[in-house]
Amino acid sequence: MYVAIENVCFSYSRKSAAALDKFSLTIHKGEVISILGKSGSGKSTLLRLLAGLEKPEKGSFKIEDKVLFDDKTFLQPEKRGIGMVFQDYALFPHLTVAENILFGLFRLKKAEKKKRLQEVLELVELEGYGKRYPHQLSGGQQQRIAIARAIAPNPSLILLDEPFSNLDAELQEKIRKDLRDILKKADITSIFVTHDEKDAYVLADRIVKIQDGRINFIGRPCDMLDTYSQAALSSKETVAEEELVRI
Amino acid sequence: MQRRMANLNIWTVSATAIIILLFLPNLTIVAGFFTPTNDNWEHMKEFVLWKFVKTSLILISITALSTIFIGLSLAWLVAQYQFPLRRFLKWALILPLSIPPFIGAYTYHGIFNYTGIIQTALREGLGMRLNPAHFDIMNLPGAIFIYTIFLYPYVYTITQVFLSKQSASLIESTRLLGKGPWQTFFQVVIPISRISIIGGASLVVLEVLNDYGVVKYYGIQTFTTAIFQTWFGLGDLESSIKLAASLMGFVILILLIEKIMRGKRRYSYATTKVRPLSLIPLTGWKGFAAASYGFLVLTLGFFIPVLQLADWTILTFGTIPLEEFMAYAGNSVAVAGISASLIIILALVVGNFSRLVHGRLAKLLPKLTVLGYSIPGAVIAVAAVTSFIALDRFLAPLYRMAGFETTLVLSVSLVLLITAFIIRFFAIGFHSIETGYDKIGTDFRDASRLLGAGLTKTFFKIDVPMLKGAIFSGFILVFIDVLKEIPLTLILRPFNFDTLSTKAFQYASDEKIMEASQASLLIVGISALAIVLFYKFLEKELD
Repeated sequence: MYVAIENVCFSYSRKSAAALDKFSLTIHKGEVISILGKSGSGKSTLLRLLAGLEKPEKGSFKIEDKVLFDDKTFLQPEKRGIGMVFQDYALFPHLTVAENILFGLFRLKKAEKKKRLQEVLELVELEGYGKRYPHQLSGGQQQRIAIARAIAPNPSLILLDEPFSNLDAELQEKIRKDLRDILKKADITSIFVTHDEKDAYVLADRIVKIQDGRINFIGRPCDMLDTYSQAALSSKETVAEEELVRI
Repeated sequence: MQRRMANLNIWTVSATAIIILLFLPNLTIVAGFFTPTNDNWEHMKEFVLWKFVKTSLILISITALSTIFIGLSLAWLVAQYQFPLRRFLKWALILPLSIPPFIGAYTYHGIFNYTGIIQTALREGLGMRLNPAHFDIMNLPGAIFIYTIFLYPYVYTITQVFLSKQSASLIESTRLLGKGPWQTFFQVVIPISRISIIGGASLVVLEVLNDYGVVKYYGIQTFTTAIFQTWFGLGDLESSIKLAASLMGFVILILLIEKIMRGKRRYSYATTKVRPLSLIPLTGWKGFAAASYGFLVLTLGFFIPVLQLADWTILTFGTIPLEEFMAYAGNSVAVAGISASLIIILALVVGNFSRLVHGRLAKLLPKLTVLGYSIPGAVIAVAAVTSFIALDRFLAPLYRMAGFETTLVLSVSLVLLITAFIIRFFAIGFHSIETGYDKIGTDFRDASRLLGAGLTKTFFKIDVPMLKGAIFSGFILVFIDVLKEIPLTLILRPFNFDTLSTKAFQYASDEKIMEASQASLLIVGISALAIVLFYKFLEKELD
């Protein structure tokens, strides 16, 4: 298995209930996983734990036999080689698009940096935007730059936190497809959390439903059809269905 | 909590060290209170302590009431009505804050004394025979006048900002329910702005308790003057520690009263779409009266003293050698610059720490350092000196090894003065930095770390550039405060080290009022400039 998450437990304080309870999951290389759950279900906590922004009580997390945390080890976020796209993108406002992307490429040589910058800008189809500042971009463009920045250092895993919550409803449909294309083209293993079933259907290879810090379903989007009433997939869902057919 | 301290590292260690060092001297005061008493203390306790308490109580209570009266009435006029000069007065009414009360005190004394402009004009111009006693302002009412006219902006600004953020519908519905303007003012405006009024007034009270310049110059006995008198007059540091401890208790009592009076904090509107108050035009004599009232306060609090200072500066120009003047102006800028820079650096470290760590204790610790601003300069002076003498004793063997003849090295150096400034003004810089950190949140930091940058690199590449505004405003605020500061500078400076404020104070104390004007005018000029810049900055932020 490429990514192995085992028995992860976490709670925000001693008194409160577990935000995450014995969470286990394995992921193939290149797979797109969606963590689907309501707010407070523990899905964002999972991302923060994987990123190294919170320290788990128990459990282990490995990528290709590299231990990111277990009973003995805890790698700091900057040592993990994991990319993350934040809900509000967190593009550094005082840096240009190019500088934002180059921020994570400090280990590369100058020529390589330039090449990689071009590559990722092409990937997200925003060539020529390097000199702009984040506030000069539209919401959708900001999101793509955030993805480009996260992908640029070639992370072994990329985490996306509610990638569509900050976009207009009309934009969302188009961008869902775009995002899937980008992730697949880059052949990058990714986990994204969402509360929106449509996001999960369109984007994910596999969906993990989570409730009160526990997994209550894992399966392909088509497996989930049975568990949902048809009402969830009304006529509006044509895009999603097309996607399902493709998968 | 241990688990959550995942990021225990150099930041945590240094922040904790800073907080302890900032807080430690204050503990020496508390400890000093419990040492055995001596005769001086027994004598003071029996005969004079109560007198200080009484004078200080009179000063703070009447000043608080009068600043509330002026500050609130002006804030309400500016927030609710349209009248001539309103736009100008709105920001100009903050200007009196640029005049340190001790400078205002000697300037007004200069205006009212026998050779001053008023008595001279009446005597020579109108040939009147005057009783100079009628013009004496060097007394308790005089001091209250000085504090009121130069400190009311604390109440004015806080209340005015609060009122202009209030929803129009709240005030308008009162009017529609049939209440006249006066009823609206007393039944709605005062109750809703209670928190900001109390907030502003308690700043005034703390300033008055901290003040040394005015009361010393006017010969009024308060806690602060008593602390220094016991220390230098009687040479009794132990008793002055006890006095300082009593004053600290007094301040803590006031902070508690403030907390109780604030009651449960009520937040203003949660919605962002609050329709601002639409201004009611005041026409005819009413508009004229409103404009005159505002202008009168501004004239007393700013124009008169500035014009008088400018006049004296022109009269005495050249009597103080330029080199000398430049030397102490340089000292002022150097001390204020160094202190402000250090405070900002320390505040950045502590602010970063309190953001990194989740625990309750870690959140509480930085709050402790904020106490420093409430503690009067006199107390900090005593605390700093006691701590530094102890430190020098501890380091004495080292000094001997280094070949110093004396055992007092640090406690007679600028290190002492700057340390005292840091303790006193840390809260000002920290508040600015903390607000900045709150505004940027933690996502940028997390994003930077996930892109492979460590905490320290993140700090320099992401946090500091994003905090530029907060760093700038914090620096300016501290700089101005140090520039104006008087008791700490006066007491703790090294021998023969003068700044603009100490020089102004000394000239004035030696009854060379005119000679004091140049240094004073420079202080006022720099402060006023900073206030104006600040106001423009703040206005932009509010938009």
